Amino acid sequence: MTIPGRRHFLFALGLSVLLAGGASSSLYVSRAYAQQPPASQELAAQEPAPQQPAAEGGGWDFEEEEEEETPTWADDIRAQALDIALVAGFSVLAFVSFFRKSVRLEYVTLVASVLILGVYKSLLISIVNVFGLLGGNLPIFRYNLAWYLLAVITLVSTVLWGRVYCGRICAFGAFTQLLDATLPARWRVNIPRAIERRAAWIKYGILTAVVAYFLITKNPLIYPYVEPFWMFGLHLRTPVLLTLLGTLLITTVFVRNAYCRFLCPLGAFLGIVSNLTVFRIKRWSECSTCRICEKKCEWGAIRGPKIVMTECVRCDDCERLYADEKKCPHHLILIRKADILARRAAQGRA
Amino acid sequence: MKRLAIVLSLLAATAALTAAGAQNQTDARLKRLFPAATTFSPKAGDPPHVKAYNGDTLLGYAFWTTEILPLERGYGGPIAIMVGMDTKGILSGLVIIEHHEPYGDFSIDPPSFAAQFKGKDVRDPFKLGEDIDAVSRATITMSSAVRTIRNSSRRIARAYLTPPSAASPSR
Repeated sequence: MTIPGRRHFLFALGLSVLLAGGASSSLYVSRAYAQQPPASQELAAQEPAPQQPAAEGGGWDFEEEEEEETPTWADDIRAQALDIALVAGFSVLAFVSFFRKSVRLEYVTLVASVLILGVYKSLLISIVNVFGLLGGNLPIFRYNLAWYLLAVITLVSTVLWGRVYCGRICAFGAFTQLLDATLPARWRVNIPRAIERRAAWIKYGILTAVVAYFLITKNPLIYPYVEPFWMFGLHLRTPVLLTLLGTLLITTVFVRNAYCRFLCPLGAFLGIVSNLTVFRIKRWSECSTCRICEKKCEWGAIRGPKIVMTECVRCDDCERLYADEKKCPHHLILIRKADILARRAAQGRA
Repeated sequence: MKRLAIVLSLLAATAALTAAGAQNQTDARLKRLFPAATTFSPKAGDPPHVKAYNGDTLLGYAFWTTEILPLERGYGGPIAIMVGMDTKGILSGLVIIEHHEPYGDFSIDPPSFAAQFKGKDVRDPFKLGEDIDAVSRATITMSSAVRTIRNSSRRIARAYLTPPSAASPSR
């Protein structure tokens, strides 16, 4: 690894430590709150009969004391074991499919994402969590271990490899990618590159706008208007939202993955984080002239010799091409060179 | 100058009306929790609460979960719930005041959620999937809402109610 690479890795570690630190500090504060001295004298005097409660539990003998007083981490973890196992299992599947560059496993991952993270658990990373990060309103760590596992995997994987979350973990992204795979390819409209490049900026505009809206109004209730995946709850049925969702789904039939590529504010947030990406996709020297991958990339993430990390969702399409000895010029040229050399050698001998 | 005075007085009137409206709303909610109550005390104490009276008899306590446990959080932040509890530690009901939960619409907003808590004893376990119905796809919201109701009720009970253990230690 190069030195800048290592610096990025340290940044990744720092980010995850920050996240975990934020969570544990909120726990610490809640404990401190519990130890606040009881009623001030003035207020206590107003009480009709201030029965002095006994020191511990006030004689109530509650089955389970409040969380601050008797930590029962084992119980909490046991209660969440199924969810944690689901997230861990799914993540293993997602990353095995990612590292093996297997097409079949990738589709298994996408289906699993829609079914488990989408329909069954609705475990999502949302713009609401970006608001939470800004306003200190993240879910409480101890009670939401599965969600935090997903959040840490999302952040750390984004720093290490880029928007893997968008490419194969997010249930809505998985859903539109599966749509893309099932709908006839001839319905597909390939929009011109110039427009595509500009449209990719829309999501940053949306991110800025909703974050500004949140910071000004302190109201996070803007999320259903910018995030269609809350439809997994099948509950937000206002005419405006249904129209927005309908328009988006119809658009997606023609412009595949339109939401992820152009509109998603969370994708924009992860896109900003992905500028730090440590392990980037390697490029051959031939990539500066060859355009096969650039044409193949459905995410508009390849521009000439460069891969635009903020748009790349690590779908593996170009990496599979690099490895393909029948299609990638890098291998074709090498093979031809070898052939020529072999022929020359044979001629020389003759 | 005159214009400024008009604008200021209009603003003041709006603020007063809003405040009065909020007070009316609070009164209506208190009445829902304690239909038999004739008067309510102003909010006071630590933990803060409102006392409900029928004449001179104390019917119970109403309190706001976010005032007792300000650090409890769901998916999108604190879930404000107003809870009513009688003098024996039986919940008389609850009203969802405010929240920012994306899946609130099918988890804590339906009246069936609040209805489950009416008549619950503060010593009940309050466990999702056991004595409270779990809602799939809204685990974070549901667990936070139930936790905040349970823990704030327990804190109020510990502070203001006579523990029944002396009378009936078996419970």
